[in-house]
Amino acid sequence: MSTKASRAAARLMISPSVILLLGWMLIPLGMTLYFSVLRYNLLMPGDNPFVGFENYSYFLTDPGFTAAIWNTLALVLGVLVITIVGGILLALLLDQPMWGQGIVRILVIAPFFVMPTVSALVWKNMFLNPVNGLFAHLFKALGLTPYDFLAQAPLASIIGIVAWQWLPFATLILLTALQSLDSEQLEAAEMDGASPLSRFRFIMLPHLARAITVVILIQTIFLLSVFAEILVTTNGGPGYASTNLTYLIYVQSLLQYDVGMGSAGGVVAIILANIVAIFLMRMIGKNLET
Amino acid sequence: MGQITLSQVTKRFGDVEVIPPLDLQIDDGEFVVFVGPSGCGKSTLLRLIAGLEDVTSGEIRIDGTEATDLPPARRRLAMVFQSYALYPHMSVRKNIAFPMKMAKVPEDEQNRRIEAAAKALNLGDYLDRKPGQLSGGQRQRVAIGRAIVREPAAFLFDEPLSNLDAALRVGMRLEISELHERLATTMIYVTHDQVEAMTMADKIVVLRAGHIEQVGSPLELYRAPRNLFVAGFIGSPRMNFIEGAEAGAHGAHTIGIRPEHIEVSDGPGRWQGRIAVSEHLGSDTFFHVHDTGLADVITVRASGEVGLRHGDTVALTPRADQIHRFGADGLRL
Ligand SMILES: Nc1ncnc2c1ncn2[C@@H]1O[C@H](COP(=O)(O)OP(=O)(O)OP(=O)(O)O)[C@@H](O)[C@H]1O
Ligand SMILES: [Mg+2]
Repeated sequence: MSTKASRAAARLMISPSVILLLGWMLIPLGMTLYFSVLRYNLLMPGDNPFVGFENYSYFLTDPGFTAAIWNTLALVLGVLVITIVGGILLALLLDQPMWGQGIVRILVIAPFFVMPTVSALVWKNMFLNPVNGLFAHLFKALGLTPYDFLAQAPLASIIGIVAWQWLPFATLILLTALQSLDSEQLEAAEMDGASPLSRFRFIMLPHLARAITVVILIQTIFLLSVFAEILVTTNGGPGYASTNLTYLIYVQSLLQYDVGMGSAGGVVAIILANIVAIFLMRMIGKNLET
Repeated sequence: MGQITLSQVTKRFGDVEVIPPLDLQIDDGEFVVFVGPSGCGKSTLLRLIAGLEDVTSGEIRIDGTEATDLPPARRRLAMVFQSYALYPHMSVRKNIAFPMKMAKVPEDEQNRRIEAAAKALNLGDYLDRKPGQLSGGQRQRVAIGRAIVREPAAFLFDEPLSNLDAALRVGMRLEISELHERLATTMIYVTHDQVEAMTMADKIVVLRAGHIEQVGSPLELYRAPRNLFVAGFIGSPRMNFIEGAEAGAHGAHTIGIRPEHIEVSDGPGRWQGRIAVSEHLGSDTFFHVHDTGLADVITVRASGEVGLRHGDTVALTPRADQIHRFGADGLRL
């Protein structure tokens, strides 16, 4: 792809998909921006007057807003830490030659195939339920009082559930990265007198840096918009204790039929996501260069 | 310091015995080369010595102390891998410093040794580059540098030059030989290139299927190969083997004669043949002679330019004192 002719041809060939994608993104974005400056509530039909930034000021001063921001960040960070640390440990374990490797790998990957709503329901009813849940039984067996996870530590419970879903993804990416490590490098380090811990620290971890970056970037995109798990388990409560930004927008717009407010929330979420993205690329983007 | 003794060492991978019981003595300061065809167990033997593989049975002693169960790091051996195995995310300086960092050598001592290695190997200009930004020959030097700074009892090389082009290979060959002269440390060098083996070695170990076929200096192996395998393996181009009546006339089952020990002329001679291919190298000319009635092809070397061409009928005369005689069991008579 280096001659002028081939570059022109390449541009021509990719233009339909680029135009389609642009339209696909720009039209909804434009409509959201437009709605966000209207007073537009489905419960109050009539004309939808232009109100400027009124919706924004309502959304940003909403009592739940600051809580939602912090919850969103805690959720993203918590899940990232758990999945990356856990993913590295699991990948190291699965990389060892062992009996039944194939089956174990499939088992580890399985949670990824379960729908978020279903896995959240399973966690809520089978594990975390304070009366019938497995944890409740475990606590009772140990002579402790059962702990009502979803009421006492709602955000931590949701972080646990989401991390459980994303752990296989991180494990899979990190495992393939680990398998691409040249075994002669490890042997050279062994000859150089590196202990297993230093081999991990100085050889494996730098090798995994790029894969870890990929995991962080991809997961952050999805974790900023966690919704189903919250809806199914805590409904954002108690209070705003487990409301993240996505859920707040849902509460503001759909539950109150307020299109204008929801759109304003959406725009705020887009801006925040971009701030996070820029921040991430600044911090770890250099790992993706060759 | 750097005496290595293997006694009755064996290695199996599952049911496959890769190294049958093997004894080998490597003296301090020797340059020992393991040669043999692909898959004969050269790398395995080297890795056994390095401690990267466990021996199935037998004993390895380094400088008189039992080392069979010592981990690689405590055998005081340094290895240079075929793929160089440099750490890609570390600069050249950090690569070289790594073994010293692991051994907790003081910082200024580290720097002193790095400077010394950089000077010896001409690494000065690219100490701060990453391995990915170096050429193959430069990477090779860095790998050697990383081995030198540990001041090991012996160096182990596994086909270190096989990824380099021909010219660079000759250069690096000389550099490694010079390094050996200067450090006088034991070196064990694996190769399947017999030119490397002949030029560098104090002692060559010829392996076949894990067996040691012969151990000796390059010239010993060249002059008195113990069997047909060694005779065919050492020397380039290969020795010619002749069986049948001609061999019987010498009281042997097979006779061997090297291409450089046959006179070629267009006059009368002992054998007759027709030139099928002639390879002109300038300094030498190799003829592949057919239709001699002795073997499918007889290879002959003549010095310089000879006015003989494809299709010419030539006379071949072997030098009587250079004929190697082998019995029916393949052993030298
Ligand atoms: N990890 C292993 N598991 C099973 N068999 C092995 C293993 N490593 C080596 N082998 C076998 O041992 C034999 C010797 O291998 P080795 O690598 O020592 O050969 P080599 O002489 O170094 O060959 P080359 O010149 O091609 O490098 C081969 O037949 C190989 O298939
Ligand atoms: Mg090998």
